[in-house]
Amino acid sequence: MMARLKSWEGLLLATLLVIFTFNAWATPEFLTVGNQINLFQLSIEKIIMALVMTFVIINAEIDLSIGSMMGLAACAFGWMFIQGVPPGLCIVICLAIGLLGGALNGWLITSIGLPSLVVTLGTLIGFRGLARVMVEDRGINDFPDWFDALGQQGLLGPVPFALIAFVVLFVVLYIVLERSSFGRLTYVIGSNKDVAEYAGINTGRHKMVIFMASGLIAAFAGLLFAARVGAVRGDVGNGFELDVITIVLLGGVSIFGGKGTLVGTLLAILIVLNLRNGMGLLDITGHLQTGVIGILLIASVIIPRIRLGRRAEAA
Amino acid sequence: MTQPTLALRSVSKSFGMTAALDDMTLELFPGEVHAIVGENGAGKSTMIKIMTGVHQPTSGRIEIDGAPVVMSGTKAARLRGVAAIYQEPMVFPDLDVTENIFISATDGLVLHRAAMRRDALALIARIGMTLDVDRVASGLSLAEQQAVEIARALSQDVRVLIMDEPTASLSAHEAAELRRIARTLADGGVAVVYISHRLEEVFQIADRVSVIRDGKHISTRAIADTNPQLLIADMVGREVGNYFTKMPSTAQDDVLLRVQGLGVAGVFDDVSFDLRRGEVLAMAGLIGARRTDVALTLFGILRATSGQVSYKGRPLTLRSPADAIAAGIAYVSEDRRKLGLAMALPIRWNISLATLKRYLSRLGLIDVGAETDMALSFRKRLNIRTPDVEMTVGMLSGGNQQKVMLAKWLNMQPDLLIVDEPTRGIDVGSKAEVHDLIRAFAAAGGAVLVVSSDLPEVLAMGDRILVMREGQQMAILDSGEASQERIMALATGQRGAA
Repeated sequence: MMARLKSWEGLLLATLLVIFTFNAWATPEFLTVGNQINLFQLSIEKIIMALVMTFVIINAEIDLSIGSMMGLAACAFGWMFIQGVPPGLCIVICLAIGLLGGALNGWLITSIGLPSLVVTLGTLIGFRGLARVMVEDRGINDFPDWFDALGQQGLLGPVPFALIAFVVLFVVLYIVLERSSFGRLTYVIGSNKDVAEYAGINTGRHKMVIFMASGLIAAFAGLLFAARVGAVRGDVGNGFELDVITIVLLGGVSIFGGKGTLVGTLLAILIVLNLRNGMGLLDITGHLQTGVIGILLIASVIIPRIRLGRRAEAA
Repeated sequence: MTQPTLALRSVSKSFGMTAALDDMTLELFPGEVHAIVGENGAGKSTMIKIMTGVHQPTSGRIEIDGAPVVMSGTKAARLRGVAAIYQEPMVFPDLDVTENIFISATDGLVLHRAAMRRDALALIARIGMTLDVDRVASGLSLAEQQAVEIARALSQDVRVLIMDEPTASLSAHEAAELRRIARTLADGGVAVVYISHRLEEVFQIADRVSVIRDGKHISTRAIADTNPQLLIADMVGREVGNYFTKMPSTAQDDVLLRVQGLGVAGVFDDVSFDLRRGEVLAMAGLIGARRTDVALTLFGILRATSGQVSYKGRPLTLRSPADAIAAGIAYVSEDRRKLGLAMALPIRWNISLATLKRYLSRLGLIDVGAETDMALSFRKRLNIRTPDVEMTVGMLSGGNQQKVMLAKWLNMQPDLLIVDEPTRGIDVGSKAEVHDLIRAFAAAGGAVLVVSSDLPEVLAMGDRILVMREGQQMAILDSGEASQERIMALATGQRGAA
């Protein structure tokens, strides 16, 4: 299995290099610092959520509610801000909403025993509904300058806060997944939950932590979005969950759980970002870009299958 | 002798660099039951796949009635009269017996239900079963489902029927029934290939027996010309001394576990026994005797609804496996695939799973070096045959998987080890090794509860033998007064025999 994953990551790396080289060759602006940072900034919420989604899917679960949680947190921020709640307190409350929403998912999944697909489809609708009720059809803006600046300007030289957060989160989560017992159990529970339970592991608590983290990071992403755009509306984050899941699956994480790495997810992030950026610089429309990424996802499912087929023949 | 129905002539099959079959020659004659025995990984499955057209030989040829044939797939093999049935019958649970028998005769034809039903009755009668052909398959026992599969093969004029460990999941009574069917078929002129790990069964049914090892044909003998010791020597390529000989008791006086009137409502009740340090208590019984449920209750998976458990002299309440593990109780499941091992994950990860906390550094990170050392030391101690411990467990043979499971729980250094069917479906060499490991654990002061359906194993391992039947404890026998006959009598409900 490790060899297959390594070779899958090798394939992703080769693909990335091809796209990167082509972009650098085709458009002179591509390699500028401004474009490279912009490339991350435009999708920063999705790529941050992809890191936690990697844990969710390796654990053999799914969280469809993250886009709606993003919207809920962003709208809650806007609504509270209008009511005159201090922005600092708004941020804390929004992150708490993320934790609570994740805990609700986790409770329904682990204690009631419902499938995560159904539970998070339900909360996808529910969280979005709450967000729309709070903000209705108007947009909310005029946030404090420091808040907008955090989302829009460089913090370390030209590098914005969100990109720093992404890098820090990647490093921390990489260590957790690869080296900690929590990461190990994420794989084991995703591979065979009953075996984990028979080894005395509290799988419900583990899944609860993962869903709470997923909700927390989605709320964080909602705040990043509010700061980056400087405004919130009821449709913030609408449909983001599908892009996030696409990236994670492209990175080689098995939808059946137990397999995948954060390095794979990172490579898939870079491929998708570079592909979109390159096509954008070449004036290829957004719809066509989406089509290309769809084809890439299907290819990512088919290619390992062809290889596995050969292996099965040999076995 | 007559012409063989099917023959393999110098058949070899390699996958990449590995030779799975090496110059295999085997003749199957009409009317014989031909047993094939060999350790796991000896090449039995590859041989079946060659015979049934799943794989093509790399070299050599297959003959049917003396003429070379190429079987391009299972369908081609079926047309030539070669069919296989497996441990897990392939029946369609929502269809009835008749529909299952004629499942492949339905395409493109108008179904003549009445004619099919009549033919089904005839086929069932031909294998000497009494089975209602209108029953839905999901309600049938495993043995009855296998009978349906056999009838299906007969409906397609089967001439070579391969039975791959057909009795491994069956109770003793059902297995006897299946052997009788196999014999009936052979008497009707079918060449029956019978693959089994149970040697006593081979001696009950086979006319001839072939041993294969490392992909090679080792010997073929008439059953009258051989004996278990000879077969085992051929299978392992060495003498196995103490296979199924009674091991001396190592029981001490100190009672570790006292179970009094234990029950789970609707499942089993009134189970009582003492288990001393150093002692091996074997639990015998047929399928459905609820032995595993007793074990699961002592491991905190099922909640007791009556009775008391006292452990190390104190009352013990178990709410989860975590409680049991904390108390020093380990449970090695009978179901490796579902409950025992995470097959897609590395050997090392599986071994450390129940004891992961011991390999954490102060920062909460796994000390991979210490973990690997531990896994390697178990590979050596338990003779787990694998080039390294990073391979996925699923790549190992059944016997080695069993050892990985044992390693996981032995590393916990439990006081009470519960092992459920510790040698099911594994080869004789590994069986002896597993028995030795369990006895060594007891000799070092641990207490062992062994659940086993393998009577020779029960007799060899148990210092005392607790017999259960349908959720009731029938008796506890001392090893001196136990015999296969006595245990079977109790397990089948003849209480007077006790």
